[in-house]
Amino acid sequence: MTPFELVEPPSLREALAALDPVDPSTRAIAGGTALMLMMKIGVFKPARLVSLRRVEERYRRIEVDEDGVLHIGALTPLSAVERSPLVVAKAGVMTRALLTLSNVRVRNVATIGGHLAHADPHMDLPPVLMALGARVFVAGPSGERWIDVVDLFRGYYETVLANNELIVELVVPPQGKRHADYLKCTTLSADDWPAVGVAVSLEIEGGTVKDARIAVSAATERPRSLVRAVEVLRGRPGDEATCKRAGEAAAQELEVLPDGRGSIDYKKQLVRVYTARAIRRTFEAALLDGR
Amino acid sequence: MATKIVERGGQVGRSVSRLEGRAKVSGRAEYAHNLKLPGMLYGKIFRSRIPHGKIRGIDTTAAAALDGVFRVVTGDDVRALIPNPYFGPAFHDQPVLALEKVRYVGEPVAVALARDPHVAEQAASLIEAEYDELPAVYDEVEAATSKAFVHETLKPAGTFPDLKYLEGKRETNIALDFHLLRGEPERALAAADYVFEHTFHTQTVMHTPLEPLVSLAEPGEDTVTIYTSSQSPSFVRMEIARLLGWPENRVRVRTAFLGGGFGAKLYIKLEALVVVLALLARRPVKISLTMEEQFYHITKHATTTRIKSGVTKDGRIVARECDVYWNGGAYADIGPRVTQKSGFTAAGPYDIDNVKLASYAVYTNLPPAGALRGFGIPQLVWAYEGHTDLIARELELDPIEFRRKNILREGRPQAVGQPIHDAAIDAVLERLAQRLEWHRPFDRGSATLRRGRGVAIALKAVIAPTTSVAIVNVYADGSCALYCSTVDMGQGSDTAMAQIVSEVLGLEAEAIRVVHPDTDVTPYDMATLGSRSTYHMGNAVKRAAEDARAKLHALAVEAGAEGLPVAEIFRKRYGMQAGNVVGTGTFIPAYQSPDKKTGHSENVTPFWMVGGAGAEVEVDVETGRFRIMKLVNVADVGKPINPKIVTTQISGAAIMQLGFTLFEKMAFEDGRLTNASLADYKIPGFLDVPEVMTSEFVEAEQHGGPYGAKGAGETGTFAVSPAIANAIADATGARLTSLPITPEALYRAISGLTQERG
Repeated sequence: MTPFELVEPPSLREALAALDPVDPSTRAIAGGTALMLMMKIGVFKPARLVSLRRVEERYRRIEVDEDGVLHIGALTPLSAVERSPLVVAKAGVMTRALLTLSNVRVRNVATIGGHLAHADPHMDLPPVLMALGARVFVAGPSGERWIDVVDLFRGYYETVLANNELIVELVVPPQGKRHADYLKCTTLSADDWPAVGVAVSLEIEGGTVKDARIAVSAATERPRSLVRAVEVLRGRPGDEATCKRAGEAAAQELEVLPDGRGSIDYKKQLVRVYTARAIRRTFEAALLDGR
Repeated sequence: MATKIVERGGQVGRSVSRLEGRAKVSGRAEYAHNLKLPGMLYGKIFRSRIPHGKIRGIDTTAAAALDGVFRVVTGDDVRALIPNPYFGPAFHDQPVLALEKVRYVGEPVAVALARDPHVAEQAASLIEAEYDELPAVYDEVEAATSKAFVHETLKPAGTFPDLKYLEGKRETNIALDFHLLRGEPERALAAADYVFEHTFHTQTVMHTPLEPLVSLAEPGEDTVTIYTSSQSPSFVRMEIARLLGWPENRVRVRTAFLGGGFGAKLYIKLEALVVVLALLARRPVKISLTMEEQFYHITKHATTTRIKSGVTKDGRIVARECDVYWNGGAYADIGPRVTQKSGFTAAGPYDIDNVKLASYAVYTNLPPAGALRGFGIPQLVWAYEGHTDLIARELELDPIEFRRKNILREGRPQAVGQPIHDAAIDAVLERLAQRLEWHRPFDRGSATLRRGRGVAIALKAVIAPTTSVAIVNVYADGSCALYCSTVDMGQGSDTAMAQIVSEVLGLEAEAIRVVHPDTDVTPYDMATLGSRSTYHMGNAVKRAAEDARAKLHALAVEAGAEGLPVAEIFRKRYGMQAGNVVGTGTFIPAYQSPDKKTGHSENVTPFWMVGGAGAEVEVDVETGRFRIMKLVNVADVGKPINPKIVTTQISGAAIMQLGFTLFEKMAFEDGRLTNASLADYKIPGFLDVPEVMTSEFVEAEQHGGPYGAKGAGETGTFAVSPAIANAIADATGARLTSLPITPEALYRAISGLTQERG
């Protein structure tokens, strides 16, 4: 690691001002669990790091507003999200996903905003948040904007955020009667990044799927929402055969990339099996809940 | 017996808590990693980026010009200090920094020195080297006959006299070949009812000590002191003295606690480099590797084993032939010893009249391979216990019954010719069967979640002959210190050795002070390796303590202080609180070198280690993912000095081997490592420990061992991998012959079976 400038502005406004619109060697740092690894191996050599640790406390808050919308400040550590009763009540699938995310040391330090902005396709929460229809509120020097998590990721380690924009808040809409689940498949150690992650959210009506959102991570260049698998499900009961067809559609429609956790063929098989299983599990839970 | 020191006993066999436990958990324990000396420079290594090539030039100008850089050192600078700067325990083949050639990606080529470690790192990144690339070879079998030669000439070290014949051998990558012949295997194979032949592979892995390699050298007026995270301080001193042409008494080597070793810190690693740098700079120099850099210093041998057996209709193994190829990487390290010392057990813990073994240490253009917790045994067991199960399956014999029929029993000769004594192979096998409730019906699971179970057993000889020396110093107040060069790297040797001293002297183990290795203070020990310390150093320590006891007694008689407390004896003899009683003990076991032609020896090892494992698994046949429902580890450790520590040694070894079984693998592409970080090279965590895991030792006694004990550090690793593979084969019919058993590999194997059937 080579020396660099570290600034710790006391406000979000000053933090935004300290960022550079073009120079990629100036970056914001929150928990630093990902960035520090990249710095240690020399992949990232910063000229200046803008630490967010001193900005206003309100960016670490978890709240539910009068409309039942869940707001999570971007600087909230993952462990605080994991332990929040509000998150359990409003988006229990996030809590369950967090329990399998990396390890307790990482979760104590990593923040939810950093987790999303890092855009590593192996992250656990992006597919979950995509299935929940979540959005992020983003601030930049020229103003603020909303981005659906589905539209946040542009490519491998790449978001649509400008170099001097910061995620300020994560917002999860009320889920109504929807049920969601996340299945994580690891092929190396148990606490490894997933080889494939599948998140499913279903709205069931009269024993059939009224609406579905399915997102897959880790096997692809960026987390992806499935289209054809959802079409297979719509209006159908979540029986074994339908789930298998949806899994097959998922394997067909995704462009799968290989890595140290699996070849293309194997990851396609994992997508096939885990998508089918995730749908089936979610459907069964929804049916049980409906009774 | 008239002194106050009486045989109280009860110290050996007691589960004494680790003496250093409190210091470790409170952060007070001493590690070389934390040491800083005034004026100290940090060195950062610049490494080869190509697998094999002639060095055309090294450009250090930009690095040397960087603000804060003290100096940049290359192989030529090293040669100015040491004309022939090659080191190694078995071969003098490894240059302190690359000379003329580089032989693997990651080989140290130059070092940048600076007061600030970050400046040193930045400077190292500014060094550039140009090479003329040479053809490279990576596979151990291919390398054995390849025309791409890693070394021009073989340079055996002479440390081991039986390697002398390799001196000056040219145009070969085979550093050493070991052969053993017993009976008439060819004829027996031809006459056998059945002949089975299989090939097995193991992968390259890393030791991953949580404290990476670190060494610091401090130059004196005409001396040098080395602070190093080493398992073999005595060897480091010898080798540094040889390189410098100095007598040993001008080289001082000190170690502290080690944050794990597992064979990564054996013989000589960074020590020669820091010594050269310190002598050139005339300042203390420290090199601390990062976790990632460790991948480029020492690994465990990848292997290919061909194994062939002749079996009778009723399930007796009558002949066995094994060819083992060890992928040694670019420098021999201790590979040739692994090849020979483990090679002769390649036929397994079985009573076979006709055996032919060949074992080859092969150079390749990969990082050097050495010993890793088991000294080559886990690689061999992977082959022979997979093979054993395949035969049993093919002959429709119960795998445990088949083993019962063939195991070596007390008094029967092992392949090398030495009769087996104190090796509880049968007891270990029977305990496995008991723990797995083998006789009871087994739930085979469902169509998609299939269950199976399997066992494996193994035998290891200890590295011989090796020497240990110990000193027990009784101070004038009656307190006592043990000076020994056994390195406590987490295995609990301080505690075990203190228990032996206290047993002899009638003190509490907790009251004994253990002085850590310092070659100016503590006497010679061959090294802390291969589960040798408890037996060898244990015996030396016992003798030293007995010597001290006898001398104390004599002193008491001389002073007319018989029956008085120790402090009174000293006071009476010297008129005040003064003096010492120093007891010494040396131990080297009897040994007979294997015959050059036949490989035979009547006494090749002072003791045998026996390890067994049993596993129950559940396989998800749609993905190849599987969970280990139960892992049972059983070992023969003789009579344990400290039952609690021995049990954790067995479980720790088993969990480590679990990583090598399930996912650890250094992945190379054209000699380049593609997963050189713990983000991609995963080691087991707590969540990977099987749901049910038991670790235990059987009732046994090692004659000649201190209080009936023998080594236990490696035994838990031996049988884990094949036990799991055998359970998977039992569950699915799919047989994996290469490690690691990844879900993908298993899924492919299962799919292959389905296609064959379909």
